[in-house]
Amino acid sequence: MAYTLSEIRPDDKRGHTKLRALLEGEGITLDGNLDYTCGLFDEDYQLVATGSTFGCTLRCFAVDHRHRGEGLLNQVVSHLMERQTERGIFHQFVYTKCRSTKFFQDLGFYEIARVEDTLSFLENRRGGFSSFCQKLERDRRPGKSGAIVMNANPFTLGHLSLVERAADECDTVHLFVLSEEQSLVPFPVRWKLVQEGVAHLSNVICHPSGPYMISSATFPSYFLKDEQAVITGHAKLDLALFGPIAQALGIQVRYVGEEPRSLVTGLYNQIMAQELPKAGIQYVELPRLQAGGQPISASAVRQAIHDGRLETLRDQLPQTTWDFFHSSQAQPVIDAIRSSAEVIHY
Amino acid sequence: MEILKPAMAGTLESSDAQVTVEPGSDGIQLTLSSSVMNQYGRQIKATVLETLKRLEVTNAQVTVVDKGALDCTLKARVECAVFRSCGQSQANIPWGGAVR
Repeated sequence: MAYTLSEIRPDDKRGHTKLRALLEGEGITLDGNLDYTCGLFDEDYQLVATGSTFGCTLRCFAVDHRHRGEGLLNQVVSHLMERQTERGIFHQFVYTKCRSTKFFQDLGFYEIARVEDTLSFLENRRGGFSSFCQKLERDRRPGKSGAIVMNANPFTLGHLSLVERAADECDTVHLFVLSEEQSLVPFPVRWKLVQEGVAHLSNVICHPSGPYMISSATFPSYFLKDEQAVITGHAKLDLALFGPIAQALGIQVRYVGEEPRSLVTGLYNQIMAQELPKAGIQYVELPRLQAGGQPISASAVRQAIHDGRLETLRDQLPQTTWDFFHSSQAQPVIDAIRSSAEVIHY
Repeated sequence: MEILKPAMAGTLESSDAQVTVEPGSDGIQLTLSSSVMNQYGRQIKATVLETLKRLEVTNAQVTVVDKGALDCTLKARVECAVFRSCGQSQANIPWGGAVR
């Protein structure tokens, strides 16, 4: 049978109805984060296979069970990889159910980490993750090493106090800044503000997180049954990836800011508190720094910028971040935050 | 020919091969996976290396995901990926030869 491969655009209602029906039939839901979707149609214009991309990841694959064994997934994956390559994305990742791992391994993907019975995370480079860890190993220092992972969206006094406390207690602090572009404050800005903000601490080494630390904003949810399972799956995958990174850097402690407000991060921290000690890493959760009786949080800072209350943030931002938001460079960032409808994580 | 930017050619469909070339500095590093690795692994490797040699590619990271492609297919995919990687795929493609 001859099949036609074509894009399913977001405004194509008929295509999307077929897409939803196909996904539902195969037991998955449409992921909220997709930037391109394609479908394979048979001669009667029935959708028989689909796949999508988001950033550097391939996701949301489904093949109609009546058409399994015809190599349709290969066609869809080939098309998506070619498209990603055209967009300049060469290092590609796949999230999938554990039992589909072998299909992707046949297509030149290599497993990086897996959460038993939940999901598997693959990349298209052999030894991509291990060479990432090897590179990190150059920054390994003797003595007690601590780690902090932050999005710093944007860098606040709360972040700074967490780093200062860690820098005080450890010989070396490895500070990872999430490099995924899913935040209102773009990565180059976040990176610059973190580096300037911790410049006075000589034992802090900053690292871009690279593709191996995943923000909850881009973690795929389509094949997990409910929100709880999504958060748990995300936390466990993150920890599975953090293990080898911690080993490469000789990390003994991970510092985390307390999370009274965000449901996702709260549950995430709870899982970390359980799992990290199993990997021999101490888990330290520090209470939030307060300003004016309120805990400082990056989302509250974004809300203030959104509402045009930049001047009220004096006691919540370090000098460097404050100066940045008062410079002309900050205008595009401020505009982006202002025009965004949702600035707080649920 | 020098590999200037990453490029890909081919598909993952049966009887085809997906070839990716990326700039490298340490000779040719070939990563090969094939559905017929046990039967033809050595021959696939030789074909890919020979094609690269003919194109005078000396430094590159090459990834081949083979799905049972014939030698002629492999050669064409390797050539295409290399031509694309040095911006030669727009015009005057010197099929079967090297770009000088």
